[in-house]
Amino acid sequence: MVNLNAVLLISFLLFSIGVIGVLIRRNALVILMCVELMLNAANLNFIAFARHSGSVSGQAFALLLMGFAAAEVAVGLALVVALYRKRDTVQVDDINLLKG
Amino acid sequence: MEHFIETIGRNMFAIFGVMALAGAAIMVASRSAVHSVLGFLFAMLCMAGCYLSLQAEFLGMAQILVYAGGIVVLFLFVVMLVELTKHQGGDIFHLQSRYAVVTVLLGAAAFAAVFRKTLFGAASKEALVLRADLAQGLDVATHNAQAVSRGLFADYLLPFEILSVILLVALVGAVVLAKTERV
Repeated sequence: MVNLNAVLLISFLLFSIGVIGVLIRRNALVILMCVELMLNAANLNFIAFARHSGSVSGQAFALLLMGFAAAEVAVGLALVVALYRKRDTVQVDDINLLKG
Repeated sequence: MEHFIETIGRNMFAIFGVMALAGAAIMVASRSAVHSVLGFLFAMLCMAGCYLSLQAEFLGMAQILVYAGGIVVLFLFVVMLVELTKHQGGDIFHLQSRYAVVTVLLGAAAFAAVFRKTLFGAASKEALVLRADLAQGLDVATHNAQAVSRGLFADYLLPFEILSVILLVALVGAVVLAKTERV
């Protein structure tokens, strides 16, 4: 049987890998993928708690979150492409316009 | 042999979870962007396996369709459009300021404080079972798609409609952002 702890632990580890990836990678594409991974970890928690409580709300919200993630990744990738057109790079530490 | 197969069947979630972690680690650690996308794809497929072993069949299939079918292809297209070979030689990691490290440590401490209660408390011993009486007369396990659709179209109709507007806005926004400027 699946234990709630096992789900929470896996979800926590996935979220941590996502956070670490966002903080230490330079490539904007990989950073976007790490954000997607963090959203997925949240989804896993939704499903686990839906199963724990026996209600279907968690699964419905997980489905909504999936659509939301798709919208987010579309805008994010469009930003990456626009950035590449303007600055000719997707490495985040080459992009320092705000520093002046 | 049968005992072995039975053990695997019981631990399906853990197997898929560890495989998803491995895919995520490949995604973060690999130098080439295409390898990162493939690690991401592997992690997403294993997450779908996790959902299936948690008896969320509809979500498992939706995960494969949306992530493996849509998002990974989108990522691969952008990897193709954006030339990444220029930075191939350099260091792929950079450690942010030490404030970021402190933030991560604080977050880990907060998680640990929460886990200390949930992981070793009394509730940690009970396995995840479905309670049919709470699912509005529909068993979430055996009528999964019906139960999810009832949740989506009866209980949460407004969030669902708002999501459609969000998708439309994201579509228009992506077109505006990615189109070439007219001279």
